[in-house]
Amino acid sequence: MATPSPSRRDILRWSGTGALAGLAAPWLSGCAGAPQEDTEGSSGGDGGSGEQFTIYWNAGHAYPTYEKVIAEFEEAHGITVNFQKFQWPDLRTRLLSDFASGNAPDLCEDSLWTQEFAISGDVMSLQKYVDRDGAEMGFPDDWHPRTISRNSYNGEVYGIQLHLTCTMLFHNRTMFDDAGLEVPTTWDEFLDAATKLTGDGVYGVALNQDHSYSWPWLLQNGVRFYDPDTKELLTPHDKAAEALQFQADLVHKHQVAPVPTPGTDYSGPQKLFSAGRAAMILTGPWDLLPIEETSPDLEYGVVPALKQVEQATIQAGSSMFVPAKSKHPDLAWDFIKRITALEVETATTEEVGMLMPRQSWREEPVVQDDERYAAFAEGFDYAIDFTEPLQLTGKSGEIVELYKTLYQDVVMNNAPATEALDAFLTAGEKALAG
Amino acid sequence: MRRLTPGPPRRARRGRLAALFAPSLNRRYVLTAYAFLIPAFAFFALMFYLPIANIISNSLYTGPQADQFAGLENYTRAFGDEGVQNSFVITVIFGAGTTIGAIVIGLALALLLNQRLRGRVMFRAALLVPYLTSVAIVGLLWRNILDPQLGILNRVLIDLGLPTQSWLNTHPLATIIAVTLWMTVGYTMVLFLAGLQGIPMEYHEAATVDGAGPWQRFWRITLPLLTPTTLFVSVMAVISGLQAFGQAYIITGGGPANETDLYIFHVFNVAFTSRDFGYASALSFLLFIVIVIFTVIQLRVGRRNEVQY
Repeated sequence: MATPSPSRRDILRWSGTGALAGLAAPWLSGCAGAPQEDTEGSSGGDGGSGEQFTIYWNAGHAYPTYEKVIAEFEEAHGITVNFQKFQWPDLRTRLLSDFASGNAPDLCEDSLWTQEFAISGDVMSLQKYVDRDGAEMGFPDDWHPRTISRNSYNGEVYGIQLHLTCTMLFHNRTMFDDAGLEVPTTWDEFLDAATKLTGDGVYGVALNQDHSYSWPWLLQNGVRFYDPDTKELLTPHDKAAEALQFQADLVHKHQVAPVPTPGTDYSGPQKLFSAGRAAMILTGPWDLLPIEETSPDLEYGVVPALKQVEQATIQAGSSMFVPAKSKHPDLAWDFIKRITALEVETATTEEVGMLMPRQSWREEPVVQDDERYAAFAEGFDYAIDFTEPLQLTGKSGEIVELYKTLYQDVVMNNAPATEALDAFLTAGEKALAG
Repeated sequence: MRRLTPGPPRRARRGRLAALFAPSLNRRYVLTAYAFLIPAFAFFALMFYLPIANIISNSLYTGPQADQFAGLENYTRAFGDEGVQNSFVITVIFGAGTTIGAIVIGLALALLLNQRLRGRVMFRAALLVPYLTSVAIVGLLWRNILDPQLGILNRVLIDLGLPTQSWLNTHPLATIIAVTLWMTVGYTMVLFLAGLQGIPMEYHEAATVDGAGPWQRFWRITLPLLTPTTLFVSVMAVISGLQAFGQAYIITGGGPANETDLYIFHVFNVAFTSRDFGYASALSFLLFIVIVIFTVIQLRVGRRNEVQY
C-alpha cells in the first residue's frame, strides 16, 4: 500500500505547529520548576552539594594563592565557587547591571565603590560579623588605620580591605648615577633632575594618561578633592591650579615629559621606564612585576613621595564587600576571613609582589627584606584615599568624570589650569547640587 | 468546484467561534503565514520592542535605582546639558565623516576592483578582512600602532626622516574616523561591487557608441543606477555612525577632554559611571528618535533620486 505523501498544506501546517511549539518551549520550561541547585539558595546556610558560590574578582588579582584558598573553601563547605574575573570598568558595569536586575554575586572585590554602594543600599553591613569575629581575625586593630574609614558608612563596616597600595616615585638608578644626581625630594629638585636627564631619546619623567595618577601632585600641594564642611571641590583652588599647571609645564613648557596619550591603558609610562626611555615615573606595586619581566636587568629604585606643602601620595588597593542580595552572606564572610589571613597575605606578596593592609604583614621578613616593598609600606603612613569624602556625596562617579576632563584639558591640551579649573568648578557644583 | 473565498450565506451559518475552529482555506493560509511570523515577531518583541518600551519607561525615573518618578525632567535636562550637546555634535561629525568616507572610498575601491586586475579576488578579500574583525580588536590594534612613543607608525615616520605625530592628541576625532573607515570600507566596497555588476553592459556600450567618455558614463549611467546601493550604504553608515561606541571606549576613552566623547559612550558613562539609568534611558530614546528622523529623510531623498532606464 502506498504511503500517502503529505500535501504542501500539511507541511505548512506541521511547520507552523512546530514553530509554535519551539517558541513556546523555553517559556513553558521557564514556568516549570527550576533545577533544585539553582533555587535552593540557603541564606546564611552552610552550602550544600550542587550549590554555587559566585565571586566577582579583578582579572589581574586571580593569584595562585587565592586559587588555593578557593579550593580549600570549596572542600570545607561542599560548594562550587563560580570565580568570575573582570577588568575594573567591566566589573563595575556588570555589578550595576546585576544590582538593577536583582541578581548579585555572593562576594565581590571592589575598587573604591564600597561607600557608594552602601549609600545606595546595594551592599550589606558586615558589622555583625565584625562584632562576632573581629577580635579573632585581628580586625580592625591589625588593619592599617587608613583602610577602615574608606570601607565604612554611618559607623558600620561594609567592606574589608584586601590589598593596600600607593603610588611612589620609581627612578632609574643607572641614569641618576651617570648624571651624578641625588634622588629628588621636592618639586624643584624633581624638575631639576628631570631637566638634566632629558635628552637622547630619554624623557626625565613620563606622566600617566590616567587622571588618578595626577593626584600625588595635588595632595602634595595640600589640595583635597572635596571639603565636606564648605562643600567645595578641589580646595584650595589656587593650589589645585598650581599642581595641575606644574604637570602641564613638565610636558609643554619644560618638555621633560611626553604628552600623555588619551586612552584606557595606564601602562604607557611603565613601558617607557622599562625601555629606558623615561628616567622617572609615578606608579604603584602593580608595575613591579611587568618591569621585572620585561627588563630584568634594569637598575631602579622606589623612593618616598615628594614634598611640597606636605609629603603625600595616593592610597589605592581593593576591598571586598557582600552584596545585599547575596544568597550566601555567611559563606562570604568565611571566605573574607580565609583570604585575609596573614599567611595568605604573606604568600601572595612572596609570589606576586602584591602589598597588603595588615600591620603585622609589614613586619614579615618578605616585606622587611625587600627595599621596594618596605618603601611602599612606609608610604602607607602618608597615603591618602583622595576620593573618600567625595564618595559620601553619592556623586563621585560624575565628579571624577569631570576631573578627568579637567586633567586632560590641562595636561594634554595645554589649556591654562586656572581657566579649566573654573569650568570644572562650575560643572562640579552643578553636579553636586543636582 | 471548491470556492477559495467563502460566500456570505455560508459565512452567516457559522459563528465566529466555529470559523476559528474550522477555518476556510484562505483563512488557513493567513493563519499559517502568521504562525510563521510569530517566531520572528517574538524575537523582535523580546530583543527590541520590550527593551525600547523599558527604556521609555525608565526615562521617566531618576536616582541610582531609577525608582524616583521624574516625569519629563530627564528630557528637559538633556536639552540644556552641555555634555550631551558636545557629544551629539561630535557624533554627527563622526557619522558624517564615516558615511561620506564609506561611500566615496568604498565606491572608488569597487570601481577599481571591478576592472580586470591581476589578483583582484585577493584584494577584495584583503579589504573585507578588517570588517570581519571585532571593533575591540581593531581598537587595540590601532591604539598600539598610533602610540606616539612606542607605536609602529611613528617608527616608520622616523625611518623616513619625517616628524613624529601624536595622532590621538592632535586630531583625535579624525583619527578614529580614519580607523573606522579602515574597518568598514571593505564592506561598502562589496556592496558597491554587487551594484556595479548589476548594471547591464549594454548601457555602457550604447553610451560609448553615442560618444560618451568614461566620466560621462560614470556620472550619467553608473552613479544613477547605483542609487539604491548608495541609499542602503548611506542609511546603514549613518545608523552605525550614530551608534558608534567601541572606538571611544577602546581607543581614546572619550578624550582628550571629551573630544571623542561619542554619544553612546556618553550615555554609557551616564549609566555606568554616574549611575543615572533614568537619564541614560532618556538620552538613548532621544537618539532613537534622531536615527528614525535621519533614516526617513535619507529614504525619501534617496528614493526621489532613483532612476530606471
